[in-house]
Amino acid sequence: MHKVISFFIVSLVVLTVSAQYPGFTLITNTAKFKEQFAVAAKKNNSIKSDFTQEKNLSMLSEKIVSKGKFWFKKDNMVRLEYTQPYKYLMIINKNNIYIKDGQKENKISTGSNKIFKQINKITVECVQGTVLDNTDFSAKIFENKGSYLVELIPVSKSLKDFFAKITVIIDKNELTVTSIETSEKSGDNTTLHFFNKELNSTIPDAVFFIK
Amino acid sequence: MRYFLLSSLLVLLLSCTSQYKGLQKAEGKIETIQKFQPDFTVALYKTEVNVIGKYLSGLLIFKKMPDSSTRVVFTSEMGLTFFDFGFKKDGAFEVYSILPQMNKKAVIKTLRNDFRLILMQHLDSNNLSVKKQDSHIYYGFKNSKGSDYYITDSTGNELLGIEKASNRKAIVKVIMKNYINNIPDTIGISHTTFNFTIGLKRIQK
Repeated sequence: MHKVISFFIVSLVVLTVSAQYPGFTLITNTAKFKEQFAVAAKKNNSIKSDFTQEKNLSMLSEKIVSKGKFWFKKDNMVRLEYTQPYKYLMIINKNNIYIKDGQKENKISTGSNKIFKQINKITVECVQGTVLDNTDFSAKIFENKGSYLVELIPVSKSLKDFFAKITVIIDKNELTVTSIETSEKSGDNTTLHFFNKELNSTIPDAVFFIK
Repeated sequence: MRYFLLSSLLVLLLSCTSQYKGLQKAEGKIETIQKFQPDFTVALYKTEVNVIGKYLSGLLIFKKMPDSSTRVVFTSEMGLTFFDFGFKKDGAFEVYSILPQMNKKAVIKTLRNDFRLILMQHLDSNNLSVKKQDSHIYYGFKNSKGSDYYITDSTGNELLGIEKASNRKAIVKVIMKNYINNIPDTIGISHTTFNFTIGLKRIQK
């Protein structure tokens, strides 16, 4: 009887999980994944890719689509260059953020801007593979045939104010990030898709140069 | 000393004079300005906000909903929603979401009043009084604290500006220009009592 109940509970859990992310199942032993991911992240010294960003305004049934190019180089250097709907450049170099919006230039020390710091930290951590160690989130890992899905639920109140959840999709072969979806409390979400990825190509430091 | 006091008094009196005092009565119909009401079926704007030395930029979307209310949503370039407001046709207003840092009564009230001037849903011919000065026609709509003026050229074909005013002076100045298919390409809002401006430039989807 006890076994039947356990089986029933397990089935129920699996069913709930599948309903949440169709086609994905929860990984209970995360150690292997973490190790694999950390090894791959160590090998990936740089990533160059194109991206599209889709902001989904659920209640308005509207989408705002942005496009651009993405560069990442170890350690902690990111260049996000939007080309559509207009030019907007953001560079993260260690603890500094540089933003160029048309003619306007802004230099932000990440210490002074909490939201910026968090968003950029998460982006960098996702790419570097260290996001699973971030204690600001509780993480669950799911998998299907070709991908891992990492679900990050914020723990601290300050983060909960901005995100309900972050979902990261990782390609199983390359162990690189395919997409990052941030869901807000309102039900709106934003998805960054990375494609045309080039791993470990030479990227000069000048790409991340902050004036 | 006496001269100083007199001149101070004069300055004080002058500053108390209403900038709208010299307006003269004129003829005009509400239809003349109603045609400048933006038809925001859906419109996306590149947006810059300057507030007391702080700068915020992103994308602002206006969308008319099936219940004929208008939603105004402002997000950062990276997709974070700063605010999401709803303006009902009957004047009701709803905050659907707002960033905790911005969630202050005064901020919401200011933004609400500013967007109200642009959406032009509150214009009622019963409150209308039309005046003129030189070649400018002022379509004034009275409210409890002053008037909202929609200012056109003498022909009524061009909207020169909008002013939210106390009884003495303009508190908020708005421009809406370069209309394409009944939607302004450029919108500017500036406050005269504190350093707060919003600039919108339309993005064609």
